[in-house]
Amino acid sequence: MVQITTNAVRDLAQLSALALDDDELAALTDDIEHILTYINKLDELDTSEVPSSYQVGGLQNQYRDDVVQPHTVTTEQLLNLAPERSATTIKVPKVL
Amino acid sequence: MSNVYDQYEMTIGIECHVQLATQTKLFSPADNDSRDAEPNSKTHPIDFGLPGMLPMLNREAIRLAARAGKALNADIAHESRFDRKHYFYPDLPKGYQTTQMYQPIILAGHVDAPLDGGSTVKVRIHHAHLEEDAGKLTHHGEYSLIDLNRAGTPLIEIVSEPDMHSPAEARAYATELYRLMTYAGVTHGDLYHGNMRFDVNLSVAKKDAGELGTRCEVKNLNSFRSVEKAAEYEFMRQVDAIEAGETIVQETRGWSDDTGKTTTQRSKEDAQDYRYMPDPDIPPVVLSDEDINELQIGLPKLPHEYRSELRELGVDTSVVNTVLAQQLYAELVSHVQEREAAAAKRVANWIASKLDVRDEDDVRSVADVNDLLELSAMVDASELSSNAASELFNDLMAGAAEPRRLAEQKNLLQVSDESAIAAIVDAVLADPASSKAIEDIRSGNEKAIGYLVGQVMKQSEGQANPGMAQTLIRERL
Repeated sequence: MVQITTNAVRDLAQLSALALDDDELAALTDDIEHILTYINKLDELDTSEVPSSYQVGGLQNQYRDDVVQPHTVTTEQLLNLAPERSATTIKVPKVL
Repeated sequence: MSNVYDQYEMTIGIECHVQLATQTKLFSPADNDSRDAEPNSKTHPIDFGLPGMLPMLNREAIRLAARAGKALNADIAHESRFDRKHYFYPDLPKGYQTTQMYQPIILAGHVDAPLDGGSTVKVRIHHAHLEEDAGKLTHHGEYSLIDLNRAGTPLIEIVSEPDMHSPAEARAYATELYRLMTYAGVTHGDLYHGNMRFDVNLSVAKKDAGELGTRCEVKNLNSFRSVEKAAEYEFMRQVDAIEAGETIVQETRGWSDDTGKTTTQRSKEDAQDYRYMPDPDIPPVVLSDEDINELQIGLPKLPHEYRSELRELGVDTSVVNTVLAQQLYAELVSHVQEREAAAAKRVANWIASKLDVRDEDDVRSVADVNDLLELSAMVDASELSSNAASELFNDLMAGAAEPRRLAEQKNLLQVSDESAIAAIVDAVLADPASSKAIEDIRSGNEKAIGYLVGQVMKQSEGQANPGMAQTLIRERL
């Protein structure tokens, strides 16, 4: 069983900009331990002879021509998705 | 006692972000020209990172990257692909930047950057990769405002090897990189709008240390001068710190043009884990040699090609640099040179010393090659004084045409018709006011001829060829 500290989960929550209370933190620590233990089963496979695969679709060179397309979605619609705005900018709590 | 700084050597590597001159963004069809645009008016749901969007790679970005690679003397990868670099910051709402971490499109290359003294510094290129720019944040105390117009703008990041060892070399490399990228048509090169941004990595070590010191990175320099000044400052700062017994910490620093100093931004100790992973939305770019050649076809002449042409003309290094500062000037001299070397040399020298200074961004057109050849021929035929020639040259460079007609209109043609000048010379010599000068010359005072030539010029309203006037005066005395 993989061991994860509560502090590691707290750091992860901070990086993910999530506010967690102590109960959620404990529950998530437990969940993540189980998830990682399960995923770690993959380590039992010997993949040393298997080439890396980055994509499974088999596509390559999917290009678009360099032509400006008229908007199908307006700036107004996009800005309305933001929790807060100021004129046509998106307003967020200070980040520095 | 020798200067303490002389005991240290600096080692510099530079990362440069170059904004590609495409119409649209790297993965979205939004307009890539957001200069002076209303915030968020040049955006697309892809740039907003909305779920379910399908980003599509801009073909032109691949073409420009292939051309940038050629200008960098680099090979182009037969297979390159994109990765996601994850970070949480509001300038990129997707939560990751799409970049090329593991298989960049441009492989190792090199740049030979000329230094002021005439030598060059060879800077190896480690690789260059394609990536998207982030949006712009402005900070206002308790809140920040986001403009995503620049989010998704295509960049190539050119990563050099640590091959520079002085601020002058760093500046020379940055300048040559700018010329290469603008001449190749890869970028508009608008430095004011941040089209090229330099990050300078610098470390210092005692000259016999045998290993490099800890480096600091000065980020986001947007002029050649600030690259040079920041390197000068960092070198002294790091030497001072070491001499004071401190340890250099690896960190990111910012530069202020106003104070001329670098300051700590963040230390590498809180370096983030970007959790790079292959981007499943963007299939790999696979190029055959044939594809690569096709992408690079018609690449304009590069600065070093013009430089060797100009050397053949035998002009000074300073003239070469002035001509190369504008691609249009370099092209113009080259086109004249294809027709007549002597005229090309004259045009190069005119550009360097006679051309009225114009705002560099305003140089949109230059003179017609045939007009310049004619102007040069008029000078050869002594039809123009050197002042008149510079005046006409400036007119032609500013859009005027037909130098002969222009010279006639402006009354600038020199009279080199011998009989016409002879008549004026005779009149001047017959003038009693000239008798003193004539006597002086006859008694050996050669300088007195200046007075007589001056009189001839005055009588002819400045149009006589002064050399011819002087010859005719001598013949008569």
